[in-house]
Amino acid sequence: MTRPFLFSVWNRIMCDDGSKKGIFEAKVNSNRCIGEGFYRVNLGFCGDGARLFAGFIPGQFVEIDLSGAPLPAMDKIPEKLRDASGRSIILRRPFSLADVEVCGDVVNIEILYCCVGPASLRMMELKEGNVVSVIGPLGNGFDIDKNKKVALLAVGGMGAGPLQHLARELAKIPGMEVVAFAGAQSVDRLPFEKPFGDFSARPTLCLNEFSKSATKSIVATDDGSAGFKGFVTGAMESWLDSCKAEMKDIIIYCCGPEMMLATMAEIAEKRGIDCQVSMERRMACGIGLCQSCAVECRKKGTDETFYKMCCKDGPVFDSREVVYTL
Amino acid sequence: MKNIVDLSIDFAGIRLSNPVFTASGTCGYADELGEFMDIDKLGGFITKSISVKPRKGNATPRMVETDSGMLNAIGLANIGLDRFIEEKIPVLAKMKAAVFVNVAGTTIDDYIEVTEKLAGENAIAGFELNISCPNVKEGGISFGTDPVQVADITAKVKKAAGDKKLIVKLTPTVTNISETALAAVENGADALSLVNTFTAMVIDIETRKPVLANRTGGLSGPAIKPMAVYLVNKVYNEVTKNTDVPILGLGGIRNAGDAIEFMIAGATAVSVGTASFFEPRSCERIVKGIEKFCQAKNISAVRELTGSIE
Ligand SMILES: Cc1cc2nc3c(=O)[nH]c(=O)nc-3n(C[C@H](O)[C@H](O)[C@H](O)COP(=O)(O)OP(=O)(O)OC[C@H]3O[C@@H](n4cnc5c(N)ncnc54)[C@H](O)[C@@H]3O)c2cc1C
Ligand SMILES: Cc1cc2nc3c(=O)[nH]c(=O)nc-3n(C[C@H](O)[C@H](O)[C@H](O)COP(=O)(O)O)c2cc1C
Ligand code: FES
Repeated sequence: MTRPFLFSVWNRIMCDDGSKKGIFEAKVNSNRCIGEGFYRVNLGFCGDGARLFAGFIPGQFVEIDLSGAPLPAMDKIPEKLRDASGRSIILRRPFSLADVEVCGDVVNIEILYCCVGPASLRMMELKEGNVVSVIGPLGNGFDIDKNKKVALLAVGGMGAGPLQHLARELAKIPGMEVVAFAGAQSVDRLPFEKPFGDFSARPTLCLNEFSKSATKSIVATDDGSAGFKGFVTGAMESWLDSCKAEMKDIIIYCCGPEMMLATMAEIAEKRGIDCQVSMERRMACGIGLCQSCAVECRKKGTDETFYKMCCKDGPVFDSREVVYTL
Repeated sequence: MKNIVDLSIDFAGIRLSNPVFTASGTCGYADELGEFMDIDKLGGFITKSISVKPRKGNATPRMVETDSGMLNAIGLANIGLDRFIEEKIPVLAKMKAAVFVNVAGTTIDDYIEVTEKLAGENAIAGFELNISCPNVKEGGISFGTDPVQVADITAKVKKAAGDKKLIVKLTPTVTNISETALAAVENGADALSLVNTFTAMVIDIETRKPVLANRTGGLSGPAIKPMAVYLVNKVYNEVTKNTDVPILGLGGIRNAGDAIEFMIAGATAVSVGTASFFEPRSCERIVKGIEKFCQAKNISAVRELTGSIE
């Protein structure tokens, strides 16, 4: 019921030259663990926040203030994060959205996250009814090319969030075939809701988050504990080898560790496939004030490079323009 | 009815609607904060550092958070003087706040060139001389640590500035900040900005490498506030108290209480830097908070706070 509404609101916001982002209070609807160290938090907006977030484009992100949230009890903090967890934080943290749902006047967003330090540990403690300050929507999302026939999603780690959201949008394009390639070190490091389906290497509806939008998925694990043994990039290469579509009709969307993005960019370049990558940088502000989030880019047709800002010019970039730091 | 508080101040001969400025490098070139707050509510606006030629800045990582602070090594990345004049001056011209262009360079001639080219612009009230950036190889901080060089560059840039005001921004990374402050004041500085970031380092114990690509960076945010308050008070007592040179106090200000503390220590006005990153409406809130404080304490003019330390 919600989607047609979403697009009409989106158009209105994009034509309006009023503000396209802001600071909003969001209410925590739920916050649940979906596997060891992986969580999904659902936040609700009303009023202006709802109006802006209804037009959220997959790949955009938010900056959340977690400085006021309490830390979990020491015994809930993984040993290796205990020292870091005590650090008092001031900066907000960037997170992508895994889902946006418009329910009348309220817009709910969902974030998939893992605990890696003081802010994400505090996120774990958010409870239903808590209020958090959120800045967004930020950055430029994925550019959805309706003329393509096949969209391949390269998913690494927390890249699962924004690419689930993207899969939902791509599924609305008639005739578009979408396949997600999701990788992790081993089966228990896959940041998806259980139970999983059948993991045979051909595309299947094995991952709930993707099957919801009729997107098939292929799982790759480094240790072979599920699906293809090896990296996402290897799984995608072998899929491409037997793919009948013309390369110009394919587009690859990637979000994950920079190493994976660099390899995908190379594969795409070699085969002449368009490819968009979502980059991550340490961000102090997320709104274009500080220049800490620099991404080195090539000047077209030269060896010269310059810096673009991940938060403002990205986080999604054309894979060919980025100079990856490995 | 609440008593009316006069928030206006006289800053080096310029009348400002209130004592709150943005800090250089933390609020873009012009209207970047405009999406979050009404920038006309600012007393003063200080731009990102501008150099003659565009600067790419340092490699990444350029930033790492520390306990109640952050370390940055942006490396004075900026669009350069020509683009600044073409694209940003027209936006700055519409601003109600007094605009100061922060000037950076690698040689004294660079500083002079930027200043001379902008001295005729009606959009700006003056300049802030950045001789205190810890994140570039040449220029920057190397001018700011030696009183003889501070004297020389201040005198030359003051001349280039014509009738525009000159704020000299000092580094705290010196043995005795009063010496550099005095050198600036004696050579024509109309105001002093205290302080820039503290040179600092964060090391990753797994890799044993510094986290920032530049190895070192400048520490800012609440972590540095007590040190900055001390330095403002020191310079106020030892250098500016009996002159008409105001101090623009900054370093870790995140709320009105912090701003008031700087003013009591001797600052005439304050700048807000890092706080705008996590709360983009900080400046506006601080102006309101100062007003409330004065109302509660029956202070009729905010300028009474300056140097009121017991
Ligand atoms: C645009 C964008 C979207 C993101 N989306 C998500 C998401 O949907 N889900 C999610 O779980 N995480 C996401 N992240 C990452 C998330 O912001 C970090 O995990 C979070 O900031 C960690 O904060 P912390 O205080 O818990 O840990 P910190 O102590 O800040 O960091 C933990 C470790 O990760 C490293 N690190 C932190 N941030 C970065 C970065 N940006 N790039 C490289 N290394 C980093 C640090 O060096 C440190 O070793 C995103 C980041 C960006 C830039
Ligand atoms: C990301 C960042 C960039 C900065 N860039 C500049 C700059 O270009 N020129 C300058 O004079 N100071 C620069 N500064 C220093 C600030 O203006 C200010 O002196 C310092 O951060 C202390 O104030 P704060 O604690 O309120 O941030 C920068 C600070 C930060 C954090
Ligand atoms: S994070 Fe501050 S400019 Fe991008």
